[in-house]
Amino acid sequence: MSSWILTLLIFSPLAGALLLLLPRRGEDLLLAKAALVSGFVTFALSLVALVLFFGAGGGAGSSAYVLNAHVPWVSDNGANIGYRVGVDGISIWLLLLTTFLTPLAIWSSFTSIRTRIREYYILLLLLEVGMLGVFCAKDLLLFYVSFEFTLVPLYFLIGIWGGPERRRAANKFFIYTLAGSVLTFAGVVYLAFTAYSATGSLTLEIDELVRLGQSGAIGSSAQWWLFLAFAAGFAIKVPLFPVHTWLPLAHTEAPTAASVMLAGVLLKLGTYGFCRLSIPILPEASFALAPVVAVLSIIGIMYAALAAWVQTDIKKLVAYSSVSHLGFCMLGLFSLKLAGVSGAVLYMVNHGLSTGALFLIVGFIYERYHTRDINAFGGLARKMPWMATFLVFFTLSSIGLPGLNGFVSEFLVLLGTATSAGTTDGIAAGPLGYGYVIPAAMGIILGAVYMLWMCRCVLFGPLKEPPNTPDTSTGLTQDLTRRELAILAPIALVCIWLGVYPKPLLNTIEPAIVQNILCATDRPVHAFEGNGRANQLVTTPVAPAGHVARAGMLATVPSNVKPAGTSADSRPVDPEPRASARAVFPISTEPRASARAMPQRSILLHKFHDYPSRRIQPARTRDRGPRSRPSVTSRGLKPAARRRITVARYTRQGSSDALDQRNVFPNTNEPLHSTEANADAR
Amino acid sequence: MSVETLKLCGILILLAPLIGAILAGALGRPVLRGNTHWIVIAGVAVAFALSVVVFGVVRGAADGAHAVQIPLYDWFTSGSGWFKVEFLIDPLTSIMLLTVTGVSLLVIIYSRDYMREHDKPVRGYERFFAFLGLFVFSMCALVLGGNFLLLYLGWEAVGLCSYLLIGFYYDRPSAAAAAKKAFLVNRVGDFGFGLGILLIYLTFGTLEYQAVFDMVQGGVLASGEPIATGRITTIALLLLCGACGKSAQLPLHVWLPDAMEGPSPVSALIHAATMVTAGVYMVARCGAIFTASPIAMTVVAVIGACTALFAATIALTQTDLKRILAYSTISQLGYMFLGLGVYAADSAVFHLFTHAFFKALLFLCAGSVMHAMGGIIDARYFGGLRKLLPWTFRFFVIGSLALAGFPFLSGFFSKDEIIHHAFEAHWLFGLVGLATAVLTAFYTARMVCLAFFGPERVPEGVHAHESGKWMLAPLGVLSIGAIFAGYLGVEMFGQGFHNFLGPVFHDTFGVHYSVVSAPGAAHAVAAAAHTGFLANYGLMILSGGLAIVAIAAAYFMYVLQPWIPGTIASAVPRLHRLFSNKYYIDEAYDAAVVRPLRMTGRVSVGLDNYFLDGLVWLATAIPRGLAFVLRGLQGGLIQGYAVSMIIGIIILALVVFFAER
Repeated sequence: MSSWILTLLIFSPLAGALLLLLPRRGEDLLLAKAALVSGFVTFALSLVALVLFFGAGGGAGSSAYVLNAHVPWVSDNGANIGYRVGVDGISIWLLLLTTFLTPLAIWSSFTSIRTRIREYYILLLLLEVGMLGVFCAKDLLLFYVSFEFTLVPLYFLIGIWGGPERRRAANKFFIYTLAGSVLTFAGVVYLAFTAYSATGSLTLEIDELVRLGQSGAIGSSAQWWLFLAFAAGFAIKVPLFPVHTWLPLAHTEAPTAASVMLAGVLLKLGTYGFCRLSIPILPEASFALAPVVAVLSIIGIMYAALAAWVQTDIKKLVAYSSVSHLGFCMLGLFSLKLAGVSGAVLYMVNHGLSTGALFLIVGFIYERYHTRDINAFGGLARKMPWMATFLVFFTLSSIGLPGLNGFVSEFLVLLGTATSAGTTDGIAAGPLGYGYVIPAAMGIILGAVYMLWMCRCVLFGPLKEPPNTPDTSTGLTQDLTRRELAILAPIALVCIWLGVYPKPLLNTIEPAIVQNILCATDRPVHAFEGNGRANQLVTTPVAPAGHVARAGMLATVPSNVKPAGTSADSRPVDPEPRASARAVFPISTEPRASARAMPQRSILLHKFHDYPSRRIQPARTRDRGPRSRPSVTSRGLKPAARRRITVARYTRQGSSDALDQRNVFPNTNEPLHSTEANADAR
Repeated sequence: MSVETLKLCGILILLAPLIGAILAGALGRPVLRGNTHWIVIAGVAVAFALSVVVFGVVRGAADGAHAVQIPLYDWFTSGSGWFKVEFLIDPLTSIMLLTVTGVSLLVIIYSRDYMREHDKPVRGYERFFAFLGLFVFSMCALVLGGNFLLLYLGWEAVGLCSYLLIGFYYDRPSAAAAAKKAFLVNRVGDFGFGLGILLIYLTFGTLEYQAVFDMVQGGVLASGEPIATGRITTIALLLLCGACGKSAQLPLHVWLPDAMEGPSPVSALIHAATMVTAGVYMVARCGAIFTASPIAMTVVAVIGACTALFAATIALTQTDLKRILAYSTISQLGYMFLGLGVYAADSAVFHLFTHAFFKALLFLCAGSVMHAMGGIIDARYFGGLRKLLPWTFRFFVIGSLALAGFPFLSGFFSKDEIIHHAFEAHWLFGLVGLATAVLTAFYTARMVCLAFFGPERVPEGVHAHESGKWMLAPLGVLSIGAIFAGYLGVEMFGQGFHNFLGPVFHDTFGVHYSVVSAPGAAHAVAAAAHTGFLANYGLMILSGGLAIVAIAAAYFMYVLQPWIPGTIASAVPRLHRLFSNKYYIDEAYDAAVVRPLRMTGRVSVGLDNYFLDGLVWLATAIPRGLAFVLRGLQGGLIQGYAVSMIIGIIILALVVFFAER
């Protein structure tokens, strides 16, 4: 099924940028308004996309990519690289975040940008194109191209419209991040090569790569190298602790709108990369390196919080707070638990909103006072009550006050990290544990310390203003103007909504994580749709079936199995009794890799695929009547039964798909869907 | 119990103040201005009326169905975890609701006049009422919440309101600093509290009160595994950490005295009657968890006893009326914790209930004094006000006597019960309780003497005047409560309070109670029927007598012979300095926590700028150095290129030559 909406969405800012070339010189206001309209049109399109997303079944329950479109780029000689776009429950929200923040960022620049207006807005719109490209990409090449493309507009935005040290900041930002992403590119190439040698087809489709990674075809050492290569680019973008030093400078020097986009969306490209690529494609390395990443994240949380506390530049303070917050995000991701990862994804959205708003407010202050020195201010609440209200509001949102957006994601991240240890039965041990929560939670205290300290210095106490009192020459009023209020108010409303009722987001995020990120295909059918006990009880009988199928598949395939040929030069079918199972189970065309990968894999999958048992649990705790639990698990079945299920699955699947190159990997979704269908019928 | 009624009431109790607050915030400045209080008063009055309804429903319910869990909607889900918005309504909830909404209503009515100067609303009048409404909402959410996550939500939200209201006069640096301090110290407590909640989830797989408590009491998890006592103790201590922050217990009490920078009604409502008792409420609510761990119970009792005594000693030397009251609040909260720790949860909640009346009364009276003195509350600057402020004086004396444990006022009964149970647990606890009672009586009387007795003094340029009826009426109501609230728990009068609360604590704290079989036919079964008259009443007589003696001593020292206090202070200068400087705890925290952390922050920035960036620079130095070397080859001199060409040709020739061979 092909859909036009995402393509339209991605390129509509580009069209806007081209339109901006039309007006004559000097029509500044028209230019700005045209850019704003373009931004809003894109936002409207993204809302359409959201509606279509839900219409296409992307809402509760389903996890597949929807609104797909595919235009091949390179398709000869077995290559399969193309312009592939699509969204799932994770990317749709990041998409909306981008299209939501961009027009607001454009709007905030109306008074602050006075030179080269045309170029400025064109670059902002181009930046949006890049970001949307990343979030829509289903092909690794498109992902990478968009990922890198964002650097260019931002480089110019900082370098031309930035503060006094803009050139140094722009150069540092560009080279720093480029150096990292070059390594990422090396990783992309290597991954493509690995995929090619494993399947005989040169594919960069993320879905395929995920399937490849999950099937264990990528060897252990290859995974490690790939992980490090990807991390080089993504960690710098996030930024993770030791490689964050470009961020404070870039933020301080960037114009307000660029800061908003940088903190609001661009940093998320890094976490999104980890989430979309590293974790699902490289499960083994992610699992093994998760403690390292977590420790770095925690160091970053504390370190950046303390560093923020001693800043005298408000913007730098907020920049450091970003580093600290993104540490939480990374911690949640690498808990490799549903709660943690969904918390992290929600964190991306929430951080984008609240930190974006904070940067906007700092920009508003700067426009009036031409300084951001904390010591230059005092008691601004008296002169700017609206500004004070919003600053306090977003501060509270940023420090995770329950009822506002930050809390839910923070809580889920900590919950995921804590439960990652999995001391309760039925949950296999994850990479992290309760011990990681304690320092992270201390980071929450520090988060309140520096933000409230800043509020107190700037807003409260006796009135203190820099000598050249508020500059109202550009038509600004002393307190926020209506335009500025109109920029902040929607963000505040969304913050409240996400704090009080985040379920719509989580409902779509969770299935997508389960299937596309953590790749557990064996989840109970209705668990995400229902609300309340009843549904859970209904689903429990269904749940183990999927689990059995999946786990059975893994258990029956011997680790030393020789892979059957799947491409043109297929080898003769092994005349062993279990041949039917193996013939269509093409783990890898490289015996060495598969032999090495399999044993670890079985452990790993056991760790990754604990969802069904976890999901069943609360049902047990909730119906406090007879404390029974469903007794059928993969381990509980007799081997023969296990095998029977597996064999049945592969023969059925193999018969139809054996010749199709793109389906050489068992489409693990398929049997599940049939189970779902059965459950629905019931 | 009719669940639907309760559900509706619960929702409206939350919504009414919230809507009031939102309207006050939105319409206050442009439309309502000086009338903003009406909308909030209306909202809180509705909440109070409904709280009465809830109380009626809960009281009318058959015994055994004393707690109902009412789910509303799913807040968020996380895989297997469901985090709901739900209520838990039981006698404890309904008592807390009554206290919170009742006192709030009175305080908000009082604020109508208090927040005016010369009959004109002060700056931020609308803001003040909006925040108060928000507070009532948050506190009700805290009390009504049916799981730990909602408890946490209410917990943080009341903290926020406290922050906003302490900093109400934000252009005063001290108020801004106090607000921040309050929030941060609470955050430290909440750190433990949050960890505790996570650990509960980790252990039990749910955050619902009933489910968790059932498992704790059953001693086994849902999976059938026994629960480790160590785990329970850890959870209890982590939760206690949060309670210490919110209820200003040692060592996290430092924020409460500073919080007196807020307007007096705020001090009365938030920092005396309601919010600070959230910790007590939480421990009482989580009785199943705490009582499952004897260690945790001992810690609760020890913290309570230490705090009670410690804060009372500081209160001896303070001169700021509101600060004396603040330390007294800390001390009384200590009593409540002591009560909880010695398994007398009903007495603790009873004390919470009576304390809400007399402490709110005292703070509001102090506010009335402050109002009359033009914003000055330090008793060194005024004195002998009994003629100038006759009504305030009367109410203040009533409140003081109740606080001091003067016989037959409310504080006397509730405090005595706790001391009684403390003696039953361990004589040391009882002794500390008794000593604190003496100190309490003394400093309370001292406070009254300093402010209202002796020669009449007022600050210069202040025209002292008695407050208007808007302020005096709530004082009257509260003073009635301060006198008579205690009789609800007296054996002679049926001990209605304890019997009502009993079912909540029976299974956990082992509280005895008698079933009220039919209305009006309450048989009182003595809570401690096995003890004799002397054990029951001897202590009562002793503590009452001690209170009277202490009051008389204070009157003698501060009114009749005012030279004595100074002499004592100079006789033991070190002790006096230690008390009046609050044991130097603020300074210690500053030196031990704040400064090192800021230092670390500076070091972090230094590391960033020099070390980490230096490494980056080093990394860039490699290509730079390479370029430096290679640049020499590209100097642009023809001769250089010629030489290198020749060398290259020679090398190639050699390679070809040798390769051929």
